[in-house]
Amino acid sequence: MNYINLFSKWLSTTPLSDTVAASRWIVPASQIVHFFGLALLFGMAGMLDLRMLGVGRGIAIGEFSRRMLPWAGFGFLLNVITGFIMFAGAPNMFYHNRAFGYKMLFIAIAGLNVLVFYVTGVARKVEALGSGDDAPWSAKVVAGLSLFLWVGVMFWGRMLPFLGNAF
Amino acid sequence: MHFLEWLEQTGFSVWIRESGTVWSYPFIIFLHTMGLGFLVGPSIAICLRICGFAKAVALGPMEKFYPVMWAGFWINVASGVAMLMTEATTKMISPVFYIKLVFVAAAVWMMHLLRTSVFHNRAVLEMKSLPMKSRMMAGALMMCWAGAITAGRLMAYIGPGSTPK
Repeated sequence: MNYINLFSKWLSTTPLSDTVAASRWIVPASQIVHFFGLALLFGMAGMLDLRMLGVGRGIAIGEFSRRMLPWAGFGFLLNVITGFIMFAGAPNMFYHNRAFGYKMLFIAIAGLNVLVFYVTGVARKVEALGSGDDAPWSAKVVAGLSLFLWVGVMFWGRMLPFLGNAF
Repeated sequence: MHFLEWLEQTGFSVWIRESGTVWSYPFIIFLHTMGLGFLVGPSIAICLRICGFAKAVALGPMEKFYPVMWAGFWINVASGVAMLMTEATTKMISPVFYIKLVFVAAAVWMMHLLRTSVFHNRAVLEMKSLPMKSRMMAGALMMCWAGAITAGRLMAYIGPGSTPK
């Protein structure tokens, strides 16, 4: 049973889907907010990743992680919402688009990476660090992976109109 | 107009626009998106901090991210010029495009002003609450990024050469 396929097919029959597909402004507006979200998410999380990798050593990692990461989370939330709206406009098209599949896969792995960061206690070690401190190797691995994965998400997102089926 | 047409027909422009490989236009526009991530993200973090969020994070060290932001900016200048060349006859006469450039220019100028008036001013850096002027500029800078991103995205839907829904 391919539940995602079933869900896409069902979604395409909903009023939400019809509204988004018929509207001239919903997708452009969603895309604009989607780009804000990505700037917030990639900018803040990317900044933290770079700091963990040693850029800008004067920045107190712990405080930055605690205070600025929620903005990255907010950006991600904006993107989940606007992403879902855009997906709803043409669920079957996205479902059959290879780039979309890879994008979701990369997001899932990035999410796992974040989970690992918190669950294995690496986050706790990082939050105890201050200005001038070097992050532990486990944090550097998470940071490097995070940068690669989110750049990948942006890559697959940008490729949506070009790879797989026509838009 | 002849010059714009000429720009669109150079070997480079034709390759980007028509080669059909994922490594031409799609890759260039991906670089543009990544550049904006590296430029706007840290800029917003710095602006939020100047406005008073997350005061426990020292402001001074955040200056170390200026090279990252400038790298993003130059990636976008290069990728932007490449894309512009492929659509010179339509984008160079698009009001939306020029609005975007104005927002970007204002943003970059404010980034520089903040660097000199805040980061290079030890007295200001050590204040608990930064001066209203700095905070207003940081707020205005964030608005400019919002404007630039909006205008940039709308270029695909409004104005010459766009594909309105």
